[in-house]
Amino acid sequence: MTTNTVVNVHNLEKTYGKANERQYKALKGLDFTVAAGEFVGIMGASGSGKTTLLNMLSTLDVPTKGDVVVNGHDVTKMRGNQLADFRAQEVGFIFQDFNLLESLTAEENIGLPLALKGTSSRVMDQAIHEVAETLSIADLLQKYPSELSGGQKQRVAAARAIVHHPSILMGDEPTGALDSTSARELLDLLTTINQKQHMSVLLVTHDPFSASFCQRILFIKDGQIGSEIKRGEQDRSAFYQQILNELGTFNE
Amino acid sequence: MLGKLALAGIKNRRRDYLVLLAGLTMSAAIFYMFANLATNRAFLKTNAVVSQASLIFGFGAILLILITIVYIMYANSFLLSMRQHDYGLFMMLGATRKRIGELVFLETLILGAIATAIGIVLGLLLSQFLVGFLLDMLGLHLAHLSAFYLPAIIATAVLYVGLFILASLFNMVRLTRTTVLKLLHTDEQANQPRVHLFRQMVAAVLGVAFLGIGYWALAAIKTLQMAAIPLALVTITIGTYLLFRATLLVIIQGLRHTKWAKRHLNGFLLGQLNFRVYNYTRMLTIVSLLFAMALGAITVGSGYHRQLPLMANSIGTYTVAIHDKNAQEQKLIDQLNVKHQATYTQKRQGKVVYYNAAELQQQPFELSKSGQLTKSLKHPKFYTESLAKFKKSGVQDFDFQSLAVRKDMGFYTPKILNAKQFAKQPGTTMTVTTVRVKDLVQDQKVLKRLNRMEVKRFALPEQITVGNYQSYEMMSGIFGGLEFMGYFLGIAFLAMLASCLMFKILSGAPGDKQRYRMLYKVGVRQSLMRRGIAKEIGILFLIPGIMGVIDVLFGLQMFKPIMASPMSPYLGIGSIFAIFIGLYAIYYAITLTLYWRIVLPKAPTN
Ligand SMILES: Nc1ncnc2c1ncn2[C@@H]1O[C@H](COP(=O)(O)OP(=O)(O)OP(=O)(O)O)[C@@H](O)[C@H]1O
Ligand SMILES: [Mg+2]
Repeated sequence: MTTNTVVNVHNLEKTYGKANERQYKALKGLDFTVAAGEFVGIMGASGSGKTTLLNMLSTLDVPTKGDVVVNGHDVTKMRGNQLADFRAQEVGFIFQDFNLLESLTAEENIGLPLALKGTSSRVMDQAIHEVAETLSIADLLQKYPSELSGGQKQRVAAARAIVHHPSILMGDEPTGALDSTSARELLDLLTTINQKQHMSVLLVTHDPFSASFCQRILFIKDGQIGSEIKRGEQDRSAFYQQILNELGTFNE
Repeated sequence: MLGKLALAGIKNRRRDYLVLLAGLTMSAAIFYMFANLATNRAFLKTNAVVSQASLIFGFGAILLILITIVYIMYANSFLLSMRQHDYGLFMMLGATRKRIGELVFLETLILGAIATAIGIVLGLLLSQFLVGFLLDMLGLHLAHLSAFYLPAIIATAVLYVGLFILASLFNMVRLTRTTVLKLLHTDEQANQPRVHLFRQMVAAVLGVAFLGIGYWALAAIKTLQMAAIPLALVTITIGTYLLFRATLLVIIQGLRHTKWAKRHLNGFLLGQLNFRVYNYTRMLTIVSLLFAMALGAITVGSGYHRQLPLMANSIGTYTVAIHDKNAQEQKLIDQLNVKHQATYTQKRQGKVVYYNAAELQQQPFELSKSGQLTKSLKHPKFYTESLAKFKKSGVQDFDFQSLAVRKDMGFYTPKILNAKQFAKQPGTTMTVTTVRVKDLVQDQKVLKRLNRMEVKRFALPEQITVGNYQSYEMMSGIFGGLEFMGYFLGIAFLAMLASCLMFKILSGAPGDKQRYRMLYKVGVRQSLMRRGIAKEIGILFLIPGIMGVIDVLFGLQMFKPIMASPMSPYLGIGSIFAIFIGLYAIYYAITLTLYWRIVLPKAPTN
C-alpha cells in the first residue's frame, strides 16, 4: 500500500443472513484500490453488489471477511464512536434520495458535518459560502429542502458531502433521481470537485453516460470484479462508446 | 389476505402496540376506580362525612371524562401514525378504500374493546388494593367500599366503547379520505413555520393580557364569586395558547441564528423543536392546564387536611362538652392537659334551657374574640364578661347555645335565672362540663374516647356532640376525603396527561426515525443522538410542566379566602410538587426509552 492510495480493498466478502438462516453471498472476495485524486466508477447489473460494496466502504455495514483500508484507517477494526467519527470526517456521501434533513435549511444541512466536528461558527460560515459558490447554490442557502427542486437538493447534498474536505467522496446513483440536465450539471460539478480539490471520487452507477465522467471503471459481476477499463487520454464520448461496448460483452 | 397482512403489520410493531394497550388499559382502570367511588351509593350513604364531597366527586368525574376524551384522541393519533404507511401501501397495491376502511375500523375497535375489558378488571383489582392503601395512608376508614360495583362497570364500558367507536369512525374517514401519496409520505413532512414578527408581538401582548385577566379573576374570587372560575379557565387557556405560540417560535428562531446553534446537533435540535412546538402548541396548552388542575387538586386537598390541626384549637371555646359526667369520664378528663374547665347545671323544659346565674357568676362562660377571625385563629384570645353583660349578649353565643342540643338538631333557648328562681324552675336537670385543653392534637386519643362515650350516652339521631374535638373530627373527615380526591384525581390526571404527551411525541417517532437514520449515515455518534433526543423530548415535557406550575401558583390564590390564615394554600407545597415532578419524570423516562428504541438506528453487526 503506497501513501497515495485512498481506498484499499482486499479479499472483501459479505454474506447476508445469519448462520442459521438462509444465506446470500453478495460479495465474493473483492480486490481493488483507489488512488488519491482518482475518479472511479463502479458499474454492474442490478443485484450485483454495488450498494453492498459502498456500504462496506462507508462503514454503514460491516464485511464478513477481508480488509478495507480508507485513508490509512482499517475500517474493519473500528467500533461504535470510531465508526461514526470516521464517517463524519473521512467520507462524503451523496445518496440517490438526497438524505437531506427537511427540518433544517440548506445552509444548516451543509454545515452539519462541520458542526459535528465542533468547528467555530466563523470558519463554518466561510466554508459553507465557499462550497455554495463552487456549486452555485449561494442563493438557495436559506431555503428548506421542501422548497428545492431535485437537482438543487442534490447539489446541496453534494455541498454537504464535501464541505469538510473528506478524503473520499462516494455516491450511490446520485443522478438516479435527476432529469438529464440536472444529472449532467451534477456530474460536471463532481468532475470539477475532483480536479480542483483533488478529492477522490467513487461513483456507483448503472448509467453509461454518468460512468463516462470517470477516469476508470470497475465492473462487478456476481460479487467479484469482472473487468476494468480506463479512460486514459480519450475524450468523454469515445470513453462512453467504450463503456457501451464493454457492457455489451460484459453482459453476455 | 389483506386481514393477514394487517395482522403481520401489527406483529411487527407489537411492542408499540403493547405500550398503547397498556396506556389505554390504565386509563380505563383509573376511570373505573373513580366511577366506583363516585357512584357507589352504598358507600356514599354510610359515609356521611364523605357524602358531602359527592358534589366534588361529580365535578371530578366530569373533568376525568374530558381528559379521557383528549387522551383517547392522542392515543388514537399514535395508532394512526403507526398504521397509515401500511394502509397507504395496501391501497397503492389496489386494495379498495372500503376494505381498508373496514380493516381500520375493526382494528381500532378491537384494540379499544380489549383495552376496556382488561382495564375494568385491572380497575377492580386496583380498587381493592390501591384505594385501601391511599385511604389508610390518610388515616381514613370508609365503610362499604366494595371493589365490584356493576353500575360503575357499565359506566366505564359505555364511555370507553363509545369513545372507541367514535375513534374507529374517525380513523376510517381519515384513512379513506387522504390520498395514497400523503399516507405514504406523512413521515417526511415537517412544516417549517415562518415567523411574522408583528403578528407574534400582538399574540404575545394579547396572551399576557388574557393571562393577567385570568390570574386577577382567581385572586379576586371574593368579589367575583363563582363567575371567577369559568372566566379564569377561558382566559388562562387562550392566554397560555397565545403566549406559547408567540414566544416559543421567536425564541427558537432567535436561537437558530446564534453560534450555539452551530455546534454539534444543536441546530438539528432547534430545527426539530421549531416544527414540533408549532404542531404541539394546542397540545402543550391542554397539557399545561391539566397539569395545573392535577397539581391544584392535590395541593388543595392535602393542604386542608394537613393544616387542619393548626386551627383545631380555635374553632370554638371548648374542646369537649360532657353531659352528666360519670366517674370514668372524670378519669379521662383528669388525663387531659386542661386549660379551662367549668361545670354548669341545666334545666331543660319545652324549648328552653335554664342556667343558674350563681354558677355563671362563679365560673363565667368563656368567649373568644371571633370578630377578627383571621388574626385570632392561631393564637385565639379567650375572655370572660361580667354576668350582666353576658346575660345580654353572651346568651346569643353559638358555643353557649350548643351546650343544649335538641332532638331536631335545633338549640334550646338559653335563659339565665337567679339562684332562687332556678331552684324553683321545673325541668329535666343535668350538668354539662366544658373542658378546654391546651392542645387538641396532643390529647387526641383521650378526647376520642371521651367523645365516643358522650355519643353513646346521649345518642341524638345524627350522633352529634359539640366542641372543638367534634368539629375537628368531622372536618378532618371531610378534608381527608377532599385530600383523597385530590390525590386520586391528581395522580389520574397526571398519568393521563403525561401519557397524552407521550403518545403525541411517539406519534412523531416514525418521521424522526428517518431523520436519525440520515444523521447516522452522516456520521453522528450514537451518544450524541441519544443526548439530542433526550433534550428534545425533555424540552417538550418541560414547557407544559413549567407553565402548569405557574398556573398552579397563581390558581391557588382562589383558595385563599377559604383557607384563612394560619392555613394557607401555599403551605407545604414543596413536597407535593416534588412527588408530582417525580411522577412526571418517570413518564419522561418511559417516553425517552421508547423513543430511543423506535428512532435510534441500530449499528450493523455480523
Ligand atoms: N440486507 C440484505 N439482506 C439480504 N440480502 C441482501 C441485503 N442487501 C442486499 N442483499 C442482496 O445482495 C445482493 C446485492 O445487493 P446490492 O444492493 O448491493 O445490489 P446493487 O448492485 O446495488 O443493485 P442495484 O443496481 O439494483 O442497486 C442482491 O442480490 C440483494 O438481494
Ligand atoms: Mg444499489
